[in-house]
Amino acid sequence: MLAIIGYPAFLISVLAGLVLSISLFPVGWFEFRPEWMGLVVFYWTFRAPEHFGILLAWCLGLLLDVLESAPLGVNAMAMGVVAFLVLTIHHRLRMYPLPQQSLIVFLLLGISQMLVHFIKQLLGGENAGFSYLWPALTSALIWPFFCVLLDNINRKLG
Amino acid sequence: MTLWGGLVIKTIFVQGPVPGLRLLLIVIVSAALVVADARFDKLSRVRSAIATALVPVYWVGNVPDQLHDWASGLFVSREDLQQENEDLRARLLILQRRALKYAALASENNELRRLMNSSELLDDRVIVGEVVGISPDPFSHELIINKGRSDGLFPGQAVLDAHGLMGQVIQSSQITSRVLLVSDSSHAVPVEVVRNGLRAILLGSGDSHNLELVHVPDTADIREGDLLVSSGLGGRFPRGYPVAEVSRITKEPGEPFVSIQATPKAELDQSRLVLVVFPPQTPESDRSEAAPGEPREAPGSPLPGEG
Repeated sequence: MLAIIGYPAFLISVLAGLVLSISLFPVGWFEFRPEWMGLVVFYWTFRAPEHFGILLAWCLGLLLDVLESAPLGVNAMAMGVVAFLVLTIHHRLRMYPLPQQSLIVFLLLGISQMLVHFIKQLLGGENAGFSYLWPALTSALIWPFFCVLLDNINRKLG
Repeated sequence: MTLWGGLVIKTIFVQGPVPGLRLLLIVIVSAALVVADARFDKLSRVRSAIATALVPVYWVGNVPDQLHDWASGLFVSREDLQQENEDLRARLLILQRRALKYAALASENNELRRLMNSSELLDDRVIVGEVVGISPDPFSHELIINKGRSDGLFPGQAVLDAHGLMGQVIQSSQITSRVLLVSDSSHAVPVEVVRNGLRAILLGSGDSHNLELVHVPDTADIREGDLLVSSGLGGRFPRGYPVAEVSRITKEPGEPFVSIQATPKAELDQSRLVLVVFPPQTPESDRSEAAPGEPREAPGSPLPGEG
């Protein structure tokens, strides 16, 4: 099991996550866009909990806030919460097979989306039912590929 | 032994300080940030600085579109280009004829204004920007354009395309700006009906092909097909730009107001080139340009839209 952190791989994944968050997805399907930064935060906290913690996740969330022009701090808090939850369960998470990890991805990113949605509602956003959970679902579906891909990059560069 | 053992176990299972404490810290800091940003609007400079640092990300994000444009420009036949050229010439001719008439009308209008002792300028100064990105949040209608503070843009400016009003600048970093579209559910434009000058407020509905005209009384003279132009009231949008066309009017018996749907004139989800309007040079706008640190002090209301 990989326990090292490859800084080039980390930088690449963060940049790719930021770019993917604003681009490369059909406009009509924005609702279903995976939560790329959430996946990046999940992966690195899971793989390198000694190096990648809540504060770094918070900083990445802040960047996402600016990209999404959400109120500063909303996504930052959500990313911090994801990192915290991963930190508390990463020992068990390592034992799980990929499908079960996907389920956890869905749960954690769902929680973070719910938090984001909740704060936006407090600030007067419109209510769109439960459709804000779609990104959590697509992220969970994409997790196995994402994880394997990043593991490979990590091995090559790390 | 328990103390020692506890310490050992701690170093194995918990990395660094207790994560719970950090979580508490970031939750408090985030909450403070959210309140400062969303309620008191204190962080526009921080946001603008981060946005400037993120410009490479916007740039890379726009590369696929540019590649697509480049690739589709690569395989165009000479006949097609000639055809397009002729079409453009024909269009230019039509517009030139219109401009001839416009010159006469403008001088007549200026004369009339002079007679009425009014000093309003007829034409606005504009700058052309290109759309380089759209908001990743599916619930907000925003664009990112490639003109920013270095081009003199500031929050509150109106943004047009060739067909009508698109929205307004809500935030500008050094070389990009964010434009809130008229279709965003938090946006409102004061408009008037061209035919008879009836004033109303046009709200975005979160649907880019549908806007809502609110608080129009049951007996008001408004018909399907009426053109709505910006009324200039509220001081944010310049007067007289087409905004939308009334598409459907539903009268509910017993309701004090009619429900009116309108279709935006601007191609909100298609236009790639936009015009950013500079307000006429008044002492007030001079002051706001001289102090870019306080962009929210621009003429007009502090909220996006006038609603």
